[in-house]
Amino acid sequence: MITVKRLHKYYKEHHLFKGIDLDVRKGEAVVLIGPSGSGKSTFLRCINGLEYFQEGEIDVDGIQLHSINRLHPGKEDLEIIRQIRLKAGMVFQQFNLFPHMTVLENIIESPVQVLRMEKHSATEQATAILKRINMQAKAQSFPHQLSGGEQQRAAIARALAMKPEAMLFDEPTSSLDPEMVGEVLSVIKDLVNEGMTTLIATHEMGFAREVADRVVVFDKGDILETGPPEKIFTNPSAERTRAFLSRILIP
Amino acid sequence: MKRLLRICSLVIGLIILLSWAVYSEPKEDAVEKIRKRGYILWGSDAEGGAPYVFPSPKDPSRLIGFEVDLAEAIAHELGVQARQSQNAWDSLIPSLKRGDFDIAINGIEITPERKQEVLFSLPYYIYTEQLVVRKEETAIRGIDNLKGKKAGTLSGAVAQNILEGIGGVDVRIYSGQVEPYEDLAIGRIDAVLLDLPIAAYYAKPNPKLKYAGAPVGRGYYGIVIKKEDEELKKALDDILAKLLQTGELKRIYEKWDMWNETQEALFQDIKGSETHPGIEESRKAPLQTFFPMLIKGAGITIFISVASMALAVSLGLILTLLRLYSRPPFSSLATAYIELYRGTPLLIQLYILYYGLPNIGISLSPVAAAFLGLGMNYAAYEAEIYRAGIMSVPKGQMEAASSLGMTKTLALRRIILPQALRIATPGITNDFIALFKDSSLVSVIAMVELTKTYTILSASTLRFFELGLIVAVLYFAMSYPLSLLAGRLENKLKGTA
Repeated sequence: MITVKRLHKYYKEHHLFKGIDLDVRKGEAVVLIGPSGSGKSTFLRCINGLEYFQEGEIDVDGIQLHSINRLHPGKEDLEIIRQIRLKAGMVFQQFNLFPHMTVLENIIESPVQVLRMEKHSATEQATAILKRINMQAKAQSFPHQLSGGEQQRAAIARALAMKPEAMLFDEPTSSLDPEMVGEVLSVIKDLVNEGMTTLIATHEMGFAREVADRVVVFDKGDILETGPPEKIFTNPSAERTRAFLSRILIP
Repeated sequence: MKRLLRICSLVIGLIILLSWAVYSEPKEDAVEKIRKRGYILWGSDAEGGAPYVFPSPKDPSRLIGFEVDLAEAIAHELGVQARQSQNAWDSLIPSLKRGDFDIAINGIEITPERKQEVLFSLPYYIYTEQLVVRKEETAIRGIDNLKGKKAGTLSGAVAQNILEGIGGVDVRIYSGQVEPYEDLAIGRIDAVLLDLPIAAYYAKPNPKLKYAGAPVGRGYYGIVIKKEDEELKKALDDILAKLLQTGELKRIYEKWDMWNETQEALFQDIKGSETHPGIEESRKAPLQTFFPMLIKGAGITIFISVASMALAVSLGLILTLLRLYSRPPFSSLATAYIELYRGTPLLIQLYILYYGLPNIGISLSPVAAAFLGLGMNYAAYEAEIYRAGIMSVPKGQMEAASSLGMTKTLALRRIILPQALRIATPGITNDFIALFKDSSLVSVIAMVELTKTYTILSASTLRFFELGLIVAVLYFAMSYPLSLLAGRLENKLKGTA
């Protein structure tokens, strides 16, 4: 479903990704863990075209993206990125709901404007999604009237309304108060259980252990190791993984 | 973007429409053209004041003065109506050359320099210069006593040459004919030398002032005609000769108390007995007689402000979008435009638009020049306000919109601009208030709006204080509701932020 090959990314002089690979199967839930600044967010953003990369190639459900001239991206490149974004929805750490629109308007905006859906069917669909995440009462609220957890759930609903093949979660609970983390994670968990292909960058190790089919450990732009959660969390093969886990898991 | 395009084309259409609104067709016998049109358009500056052309104290919306009478007499002979076109005195000749009106009659002296630029009719009045001093003055009995004294006069007038020719006189140059007498009365200067008609109207009735000695110098007022309008000059000369023979001219001058022996050189005989309204009457006229004119001026101020602001907000948006999102040649052009318009005075921009462009063949009507001048200037400021608004929308908004499959244009239109506009609204409202007051600057390009109405009225009545208060109240009454609106918008934004 998502294939990344020999990905290289430079920030000016700094060589962040030195040719990393990853293959995500359809229906698989892959969780990216690792210290802050290890590159897991940037990795997700490369897949979604929010960051450009210098070498390598990314394939999302058959659509291939190559390296792009960051300053002058061509029209065709931008269209490829847009097609990829239609395949892979993205949820951000900061929610990024549109503050001038209600929750419902946030959700139907792109289906109507981009997919050219009829407004009433987009509204029906949005209502169904909101019902599923138990937010139908907040349809007419503006983002600033919601709690952080509700905002993030609305943002997930907004991405789902585009009927993506895969979902990318970029630290979806990192800016939430602790008591709201659970409600967001449970929505993501439901999605995984329904068979959605998901890539999740997170610091929630318990959650990673619970939902992941596979855990990918990032450090300094490298993938240290990949494996099923039981193995990574109980018997990691890389020394740096062990060091990282021992720092954050206080058993 | 479609809506933007529509606004853009609307604005451009409006510009073209206004630009051609007042435009004279070339190459046609001027006399024929005037007859066909049914009126002769004569330029003058009502701010110059009495007794030439000034608002009637009884009905300030009507202009009176000996030149009004003269223009009407001429029009009558031509078989047409006379219509006055308001224009600052300094620029009467440039405006005539641009074709803003057919002729200019406004105490314009016939000089060799001017004759190189335009045609003059036969002289219609011989003027002399009258020295005026304070009542108690004893030392100054004529211009010979002026050495070492402070003497006031008008810029560019023959009197200025006379004063400077004496040597040793501290010559003070004024731009209006009221102010030198005011300064003389309160002792800022010692004497005023000005054309006799001016002295007759402003100084003679003033109990604090008196004439000193006999009139000096001699010059001729002539009607100014465009160089190419030979036919018109001939027609005007014939008419002046006829008015002279019938005694019509003399009647006019006697009515305005301007008749003196000097004029005998031009005319002979006959006495009339019409009287003219003096400055005392102007001073006593009830204030409400000025209201219709002031309200009309305020209306023009509102019209020009609203129209220019509409141009400013739409052009400003286009400039910002070009500056932020277009490729190099266009983005740097937009930046250059903004910097250029913010970095030069509005007054200079207006002068260039109105008096400068005709040199390269583009002649804008006063309304078009005012609309474009104010609008294009404020567009630069609005562009910066929009840019600040756009910059303050978090980066995540564009990312979220893009990740939902929106193109950049769609994201701008649906997500970024609506948020940026809300942030920019209080700033734009504040600028509207500023533009409102800056609109008074367009009086320099022959727009008679509220401020110009004020200066015209107060120059003929000397009621700077009362009229000034009324005008200030009018401006305030127009801008205060906008302030309230700006405040409310700001509060509303705070509530939803």
